[in-house]
Amino acid sequence: MKKNIFYILLIGLITLYSCTDDFAELNTNPNQITTESLKQNFNHVGAYFPSMLKAISGNQVMHNLNNDSWVRHYATPTPFVGGINNTTYYPRWIHQYWNRIYGSIMAPGRQVIQIAEEGGYDMFVQWTKLIQILAASRLSAYHGPIIYSNYGTQGDVMYDTEAELYTTWFSELDKVVSTFSSDTSYSGFKDFDASYGGSIPHWIKMANSLRLRLAMRISKVNPTLAKTEGEKAINDPGGLITTNAENLMLSLYGDPFHEVTIGFSWNDTRMSASMESILGGYDDPRAPKYWSPVADASLVADHPTFPYKGIRNGAYLASKALHLPYSNISEDFKSASDRKLVDAAEVHFALAEASLRGWSTPLTAHAHYEEGVKQSFAYWGAGGVDAYLANNSGTPLNYDDVVETGDVNDFVSRISATVAWDETGTNEEKLEKIMTQKWIAAYTNSIEAWVDHRRTGYPKLPYNYQNDSNSDFGVVPGDEFMKRMVFPVGEKTNNASGYSDAVSKLGGPDEINTRLYWDTGGSNF
Amino acid sequence: MKQKTIKHAILSLCILLSGFLFAQNSVNGTITDEEGVPLPGATIVVLETNDGSTTDFDGNYSISAAEGQTLEISFVGYETQQITVGSNAVYSISLVAGNALDEIVVSALGIKRDEKTLTYASQTVKSENLTQARDMNFANSLSGRAAGVEIRKSSSGSGGSTRIVLRGSKSLRGDSQPLIVIDGIPMVNNRNSQPDVWSGNDTGDGLSQINPDDIESITILKGANAAVLYGSQGANGVVMITTKSGEEGVTKVSVNSGVTFESVIKTPELQYDYGALNGDKNSWSTTKGNYDSGYVEDFFQTGANYINSISVSGGNNKTKAYFSYYNSTSDGVIPTFKYQKNNVSFKQSTKLLDDKMTITSNIILADEKTHNRPGAGYYLNPLVALYTFPRERNWNNFNTNYQTFDTATNMYKQNIYANYHFLSNPNWVLNKQPKDDRIKRAISSLNIKYEFSEKLSFQARASYDYSNKTYEQQHAASSNPTNTGDNGRWDYRRLNDELFYTDGILSFNDNLTDDLSLTLVAGASLQHHVYGEGVSVTSGNDGKLFYANEFNFQNLPTNVQVRSALGSKVEKQAVFGNAVIGYKDYLFLDVSGRNDWASTLVGTGNDSYFYPSYGLSAIVSEMISLPQIISFAKIRGSLASVGNEVPFNRINPQNTVTAAGGVNRNTQKPFTDLEPELIETTEFGIDLRFMNNKIGLDLAVYNIKSTNQFLSLSAPSGSGYTTYFVNAGEIVNKGIELSLSGNIIEKGNLSWTSVLNFTKNTNEVVSIHPDLTGLGDGGGDGVQSRFVPGGSIGDLYVRKHKRDTQGRIIIDKNGAPLSTDHELAGNAEPDFSIGWSNNFSLGDKLTAGFIINGKFGGEVYSHTETMLNGFGVSKRSGEARDAGSVSVNAVDENGSAVSSVDPVKWYTALGDRNGIGEPYVYSRTNIRLTQLSIGYNFDVSSLGIPIEGANLSLIGNNLLYSAEAPFDPEVAMSTGRNAQGIDNFTTPSTRTIGMNLRLTF
Repeated sequence: MKKNIFYILLIGLITLYSCTDDFAELNTNPNQITTESLKQNFNHVGAYFPSMLKAISGNQVMHNLNNDSWVRHYATPTPFVGGINNTTYYPRWIHQYWNRIYGSIMAPGRQVIQIAEEGGYDMFVQWTKLIQILAASRLSAYHGPIIYSNYGTQGDVMYDTEAELYTTWFSELDKVVSTFSSDTSYSGFKDFDASYGGSIPHWIKMANSLRLRLAMRISKVNPTLAKTEGEKAINDPGGLITTNAENLMLSLYGDPFHEVTIGFSWNDTRMSASMESILGGYDDPRAPKYWSPVADASLVADHPTFPYKGIRNGAYLASKALHLPYSNISEDFKSASDRKLVDAAEVHFALAEASLRGWSTPLTAHAHYEEGVKQSFAYWGAGGVDAYLANNSGTPLNYDDVVETGDVNDFVSRISATVAWDETGTNEEKLEKIMTQKWIAAYTNSIEAWVDHRRTGYPKLPYNYQNDSNSDFGVVPGDEFMKRMVFPVGEKTNNASGYSDAVSKLGGPDEINTRLYWDTGGSNF
Repeated sequence: MKQKTIKHAILSLCILLSGFLFAQNSVNGTITDEEGVPLPGATIVVLETNDGSTTDFDGNYSISAAEGQTLEISFVGYETQQITVGSNAVYSISLVAGNALDEIVVSALGIKRDEKTLTYASQTVKSENLTQARDMNFANSLSGRAAGVEIRKSSSGSGGSTRIVLRGSKSLRGDSQPLIVIDGIPMVNNRNSQPDVWSGNDTGDGLSQINPDDIESITILKGANAAVLYGSQGANGVVMITTKSGEEGVTKVSVNSGVTFESVIKTPELQYDYGALNGDKNSWSTTKGNYDSGYVEDFFQTGANYINSISVSGGNNKTKAYFSYYNSTSDGVIPTFKYQKNNVSFKQSTKLLDDKMTITSNIILADEKTHNRPGAGYYLNPLVALYTFPRERNWNNFNTNYQTFDTATNMYKQNIYANYHFLSNPNWVLNKQPKDDRIKRAISSLNIKYEFSEKLSFQARASYDYSNKTYEQQHAASSNPTNTGDNGRWDYRRLNDELFYTDGILSFNDNLTDDLSLTLVAGASLQHHVYGEGVSVTSGNDGKLFYANEFNFQNLPTNVQVRSALGSKVEKQAVFGNAVIGYKDYLFLDVSGRNDWASTLVGTGNDSYFYPSYGLSAIVSEMISLPQIISFAKIRGSLASVGNEVPFNRINPQNTVTAAGGVNRNTQKPFTDLEPELIETTEFGIDLRFMNNKIGLDLAVYNIKSTNQFLSLSAPSGSGYTTYFVNAGEIVNKGIELSLSGNIIEKGNLSWTSVLNFTKNTNEVVSIHPDLTGLGDGGGDGVQSRFVPGGSIGDLYVRKHKRDTQGRIIIDKNGAPLSTDHELAGNAEPDFSIGWSNNFSLGDKLTAGFIINGKFGGEVYSHTETMLNGFGVSKRSGEARDAGSVSVNAVDENGSAVSSVDPVKWYTALGDRNGIGEPYVYSRTNIRLTQLSIGYNFDVSSLGIPIEGANLSLIGNNLLYSAEAPFDPEVAMSTGRNAQGIDNFTTPSTRTIGMNLRLTF
């Protein structure tokens, strides 16, 4: 009897304790999805695209307090970190966009390419490449040299010089366009493409437009290559994005437009003084599409018919409360469901500049300039474009920060250009008009405007009032602008020899006042 | 494969041992102490035949003896008894304590062992010392009661968690908390979340679901040596809770009813003379005004804690039962806080099959409800606006009218004076962003023990520990927009924790020869846990609820995911064995080994791992002749290693579905050669008793080396991955524990016993990983907790004044002091700790006790103070404005002397999130009167009422302390591993005083 009980217990125990076969299953999270499972309905290549596309545009500390401020689109009323931060040329947020691009686009993209190559999905390989070029070229506009060709290799990873980056991107775009062009009726992207619904001809236009953008970036530093690549983009049978219906729009996937959260929920962003100056001076009908009018008329006493008030970028901010009554972004954005990343207006302005540079373009510089403005008006739903284009007297306003005493934060506009095209003007004068309009049209997507501003010096934006740059990250002279963002601190420790290689490829110290490759300074022609 | 063979070999051994089945004996019984606690290992000798036997682990014996023969029962520490065998077959004897040399201690797996055979340190705290203070979180009462035990209590009040660390932090990843065991079976002690510098609140731990009145004693096994039999979870030591059982004899009823009152000890020092300019949030005016004050102190209320419990126990020689019910309610010092707990437990044991089989079952049920558990950090913390409210404004109006009706939206909106992410109206947070936690838990266990003979027994146990936890916060629309969407925000988690544990243990003990004794334990165990399984949703600030202030799943917009949650799912299987060989009852060799199979290491080839421990103890006083003053002397030493598995789902994680309907590709680098972590301990100890055991001294020294730490690191950007894991790092803890106990006075009916515990632990992070110069471990903004090679766990880094070569502060061109980056400013762990506990009694009537705890050395940092500076409300910033300047010994950037600085510039630089924190690093040193109790036993026997005993006690907790820091350094913002020693708007420390009435029937 006793023995029996004992043996029963022992047998029970042996059965219980001797099975480790289910360990693999136990150590799996059932709420995660495997590549194997994704093969159902053929999602295993495409399911990652919504996340990768969504990651291209970053958040408050990646754009709103960085390039959006440096290029004077948005300004913050909030004296973040004691008022000393990126907007006053003292970097606090450095690595965030870098981490986003590598973490959410380059890293998954590398694996997606692998899966697509293994499965013979060449179209998906090229789609991933195209997204990576778009994202990486935005990141390079921040830092200069970045990790690209050697991405995903062992040990310390070397950077690409900017010259190498552009050569690489152009040749990769060749492959993208030729692959896409060989199968324009391919429908495999449909389920994963909230932008173009899987339309390959649209992606070809986007790829050509991206090539034109990148070619224009190097138009001064390497005019020959720029012209070759620019004309290749222009002449490709797939065409460019020339109407708003062809714009690359990124779905927000149900999230609010981020500037709505920053502006209305957090009250951390407002209209910039430059927007007030330029839109006000040109009596721009897009102003109500961009900004909310102020409630307090005394704020706009100097231009009562233009009820918008902005904050100077790099302003002295005594307290957050002071500038909150200034113009918030337009309420229209509360119903936004997407964000533009490459659009017809940008392409037309690039073509206008291309024409000035002697590239063969479909239309004249004048025609592309006016078409750019028209596309922008159409995009924003603003009327009166003809009158606007005819305005040959209005010039940007001088700025008075009414809540501050004396001339604190005030500035005198440096822009003398008007809107109306003047065929008799010099190329510089024409370029100033083009770039000023390109700057206005670029609102909500300002990285390329920041590139253009550094590359051409236009529009002639006001300098920072408050300049906290110091030897920690480099000094920006008072009559100059933020020229780049330093490399992430983590690179110094995690990728030490890669980092020193990067600095040598940068061609100057790893500081915010070091010019990037295409930022040559001097005249534009 | 090899380990599998070992496992099967051990199991075969179990089967083999079962062959040692002995013939029936004619006399049997149980040997217990005076209180009925079984005495294992007691010797029974038939004087006439010289036949001998020893009692088993439950004090049971059986022996062949004829009527008329004499049994001599002896046990070390008890007076030897003789009885004559009559016609009965059962003789149960209770021995009277003699020269109290030896104690029976509960060791690993609940096995009771004679303390002298232990080769490692353990210390027992009896229930009366734990519960007499009626602390709402009884684990806090362990503070100072045992050497080597570091206790930090949560700032979240009743139902809050307790940080318990034995012998220092041993891991860069885990929180180094010991395993909690009830009656030999591990229990879940998860803390779901902890506050940090930013936000959050404590969500309690598993210990708070135990009824403290059910506890008979707590034994602390401090080293990994003791824990080898529990495997990796015991690597940080074990806290073993033994619960009360029914006793043979008459039914006993015990009723406790207590009330204590809780009040804030001190609040930060603030100025009320200078308001804000331009409607700002910061009070930086330099014009003195006459403003409200005193409202900070008034905001905190006196909390009342009520504890009522009843227990009923009884039994006969076959069946014993114990039943208890416990109820406590508490409203703390923060208005609206409410904590309610109900416990029911039932334990019974029955003997069957000629008393050879004992079946014990135990059920513990708990229901805990917490409303508005106080948090810490910047966000949604009522204390931020309370402390920093701009002085020129009207507090009463703000506080009372926390909401105003908004005609534009036709609803009430929060009344807040500044649009700032850290600021919320305190009453709005408490009333319109309510937090509700609910924990329902059941722990049930079954223990079947069968005695084949007095030498061999088998025990099988199973336990199922299940809890259902709900954490919810409903944020009304217009709550702080940094984290709340337009129509409000809903945070909801409903999670289950379950732990199934079973083991089978075969025990054998025998005297091999007259001099040699052998005790063998062999067994196998399985445990399977699933933690944090359930559903979780947070609508964040980007999720706009369809309808305002409706909090349910239906009201969620499409960009908010309802997530299936799973924290951890792990199965561990083990076989283990332990042998103690005794020589002449004064020399003991203890050898243990364990092999684990862990599911989290599957696919690495390292999922099976073995680790041994060895120990030796010698009762020197019985081996050689010692001076008469020494009544007992023992030395012990041991070596042990414990392997520790890695967390769930790290080997090959997969992809996740996003709210956008896409999939986030996993970018963690697969880690297929992961190894278990290893903790190796060396320990030596001496146990001495002097003057007929009036004075005892127990000394332990140890060295604990942790290697192969499992670390998650950010992958280099160019690597193609975002995170990767390594086995790296080495942490060494060295320490001394000293426990000095004595009967200081024993005169007439007056007695005074005293225990002094001394603990010193030094921790060194010897290395981390070759690629890393340091590793962040919590904190944020101006303060960081970091692991740096050569440093220690708990190192605090804050910004300091930039100084010239002569140490003078450097002032910048704008007249403000310059700041360095984060630099080492101290360590949160004390250099040494002392706990001094005392018990007095005067006859049967009066008892008293107190405990004084001291922590010496170590540093803490008040981020609250820099924040108060930044807001312009710290008292010092007001005094500086009174004086017109701050006197400094400083230089400007050109080296010219500067003797005074503008107060606003000075305290702005020493303020806010990234200010110079150097001046707000304080010594942790503090001495406190942790507990004081005075009890009186009423003589009720003459009253003719059915009450046997009545005891009334007055109790006080945390009554007085002295410390340099402006906050209580023993109260932790987080009871987890990271951000130790940092205060950021935590609830101030409280004292409680009250009384308790205990009636027995």
